[in-house]
Amino acid sequence: MKMKQWLLLVTLLMMTVTSAVGCSKSQAKEEATTVPPAPAQEDTTPIKIQYWHSHDEDQTAGLDYMIKEFNKKYPYITVEPVFQGDYDELQQKLMAAVAAKQVPAVTNVEVAKVPNFSESGMLADLSPYIARDKMDTADFSTGMLKAYNYQDKQYGLPLIVSTSVFVYNKTMFDKEGVTPPQSWDEIEAFAQKLTKKEGNKTTRFAFSVPGWSSWYYDPWIMNGGGSVLTQDNMSAIDQPDSMKFMNKFKEWKDKGYMHIGYGKGASDTMRQMFFDGKIGMVEHTSALIKWYMEKAKFEVGVSFLPGDKKRISQIGGAGIAVMDMASEKEKEAAWKFVQFMTAPENNIKWAEFTGYLPTRKSAIESEEGKQYFSKYPQYKAVFDNFDNVMPRDQHPAYDEVSEFYVQALGKVVLENADVEASFKEAAKQMNDVLAEYATK
Amino acid sequence: MSGQLTPKKRLLSFSTLEKWKDFSLALPALLLLAIFTYFPLISSFYISLTNWDLIKPIKKFVGLLNYERLLKDDQFYRVLKITFTYTVLDVALSLLIGLGMALLFNHRSKAFGAMRLLIFMPYYISMVIASMVFVWILNPEYGVLNKALEVFGIDKVFWLNDTSTALWSVVSVSVWKGVGFVMIIFIAGLRSIPTEYYEASSIDGASKWRQLIHITIPLLSPTTLFLIITSFISSMQVFQSVSVMTGGGPLGSTKVMVMWIYEMAFVQFKAGKASALVIIFFFIIIFFTFVQFSLSKRKVHYEG
Repeated sequence: MKMKQWLLLVTLLMMTVTSAVGCSKSQAKEEATTVPPAPAQEDTTPIKIQYWHSHDEDQTAGLDYMIKEFNKKYPYITVEPVFQGDYDELQQKLMAAVAAKQVPAVTNVEVAKVPNFSESGMLADLSPYIARDKMDTADFSTGMLKAYNYQDKQYGLPLIVSTSVFVYNKTMFDKEGVTPPQSWDEIEAFAQKLTKKEGNKTTRFAFSVPGWSSWYYDPWIMNGGGSVLTQDNMSAIDQPDSMKFMNKFKEWKDKGYMHIGYGKGASDTMRQMFFDGKIGMVEHTSALIKWYMEKAKFEVGVSFLPGDKKRISQIGGAGIAVMDMASEKEKEAAWKFVQFMTAPENNIKWAEFTGYLPTRKSAIESEEGKQYFSKYPQYKAVFDNFDNVMPRDQHPAYDEVSEFYVQALGKVVLENADVEASFKEAAKQMNDVLAEYATK
Repeated sequence: MSGQLTPKKRLLSFSTLEKWKDFSLALPALLLLAIFTYFPLISSFYISLTNWDLIKPIKKFVGLLNYERLLKDDQFYRVLKITFTYTVLDVALSLLIGLGMALLFNHRSKAFGAMRLLIFMPYYISMVIASMVFVWILNPEYGVLNKALEVFGIDKVFWLNDTSTALWSVVSVSVWKGVGFVMIIFIAGLRSIPTEYYEASSIDGASKWRQLIHITIPLLSPTTLFLIITSFISSMQVFQSVSVMTGGGPLGSTKVMVMWIYEMAFVQFKAGKASALVIIFFFIIIFFTFVQFSLSKRKVHYEG
């Protein structure tokens, strides 16, 4: 009998339990460690720390390079990189590690998980270290730094940062004489020119916005002047400003300008349609800019998301953080590694290796940075808006509640449902969960 | 020594010792079950009474709050309904098509053996791979199925992105994959039916159809029962194909129970609530399995 999947689930739940009882004892100790660590006199006894990460194959060359350079600077610290799969897998392994009280010293943390991990005491507060070593945090992009800050404590630093951008078919745009729209008002004229139709059916869409993840339209909500959560953490999704984007999307979709991919496999379809010239411009993560440039048989351009009341884009990717459960000595070594990985000196090189964005203002303005932009002019569009790459609202239940307006959008896209009714319903569902969360 | 061996002086009788020996031989198996089945089950029950979030070391006891919230949640009934719909479709279609194929391919010859092998083949394929292949086949823009339908002038169908077709699409993969197994079991059942019944009834002038209704199907009932119970349990617990093909979407139309449990525990970190759901679901399955067994006591025809 196939009880296996079910059992696996239960077993997984259990494995994390067994040691959890013991963990509760360390609670009191944790409070004590928030005191800024004393400036360590250089302790150079050899130490080995583990770095758990999600850098996939095409980033390992960069990681190897960084670790080698790090070893030149700190020969007594050995960093052992351990690939733990994608962000979800990494996260599950971290939870198991915490339960087993055998944690790595340094880890990646996906930006969306910062509230959860910080709140549960999994990550060490880096603020005392930053203050002690007088790290110049103002050099980081404001939004990127803020994304790893939770309730005024810096729980990590930005490492591989991406944001959503419009990737467009420059060859097609030049031929048709259009440029990417910079504001919502420009979209009508732009799309009218680019859309091709046969009868009622669109054969070429002007642009596509992924509907499968709220990450892609959260910035649209913000740009329209709305927000997902209110100040006191209730749903703001049914405010007129928050729904403005959806009404626009519906209008553009009904006119045949806009393609909205929804559900599993939609990402592949969207990319293929873009490569086949069936879509002129797609919103996607900046982490894939290089990939698009390599795969496309035409010239690829990149444009920042068009704005309305505001013009921002949302942060994605992961940061680097120190595990709170590691020993003081490990934390000290881990902090050195974190500093090194995010330092301005290696920032451009790292970005070039990984395809993610540089995070340091000084690095972008350096000679190396200028060369980088002449080599990849596509990234320029992002950096002209460097400080407008913002984190989303931080709430531990964000992922859960965002599911509701993803569904509301789905209802509008797939079943032509009424915008206001679907978003009102989503707001109600969001509030139920948020209320449940508040009473917890 | 032998003089002292009177019945009175023995601490344990021979049969008691023998029982202990039997038990000790079963112990390794029982130990494994205890560690990997009973302990998790009991622990699950304990977690279901707390608000544990899977990370925090503290588990606050909340009593039956998780159960109360679940039973008041409309989504619980919706997910339950989807899970049952899936199960009924999956079991009914697999069994019907499997029986049809068993009747069709129940011939002893090399050619039929080869054909049976071909039908059985998908059973060897991992569910994840099969699902991924179907995701491509069903792709609205580039999928083979829509291309084929286009020839007949049928417009694009968004198989996995349409709430009315998504569940059927997921069921079809499972049926496609499992039907070979059902066929093989049915063939084994068919071959155990004595040929005398058919001979006797054809002398009496019974048509093939009447033979099927009055001989084959009743005498296959033990096989059918076995298949219904095993596929009922595995269908209720469907996860992989849903996870790969739809992720529970679109709009939650394929969100089955295990998918929901997974989401609750590992996406939303509500280990307490998810455990409560596990326990409820466990009893639902036990209940229905029990019902099936007790119904079968009256209906199933076991041939001696």
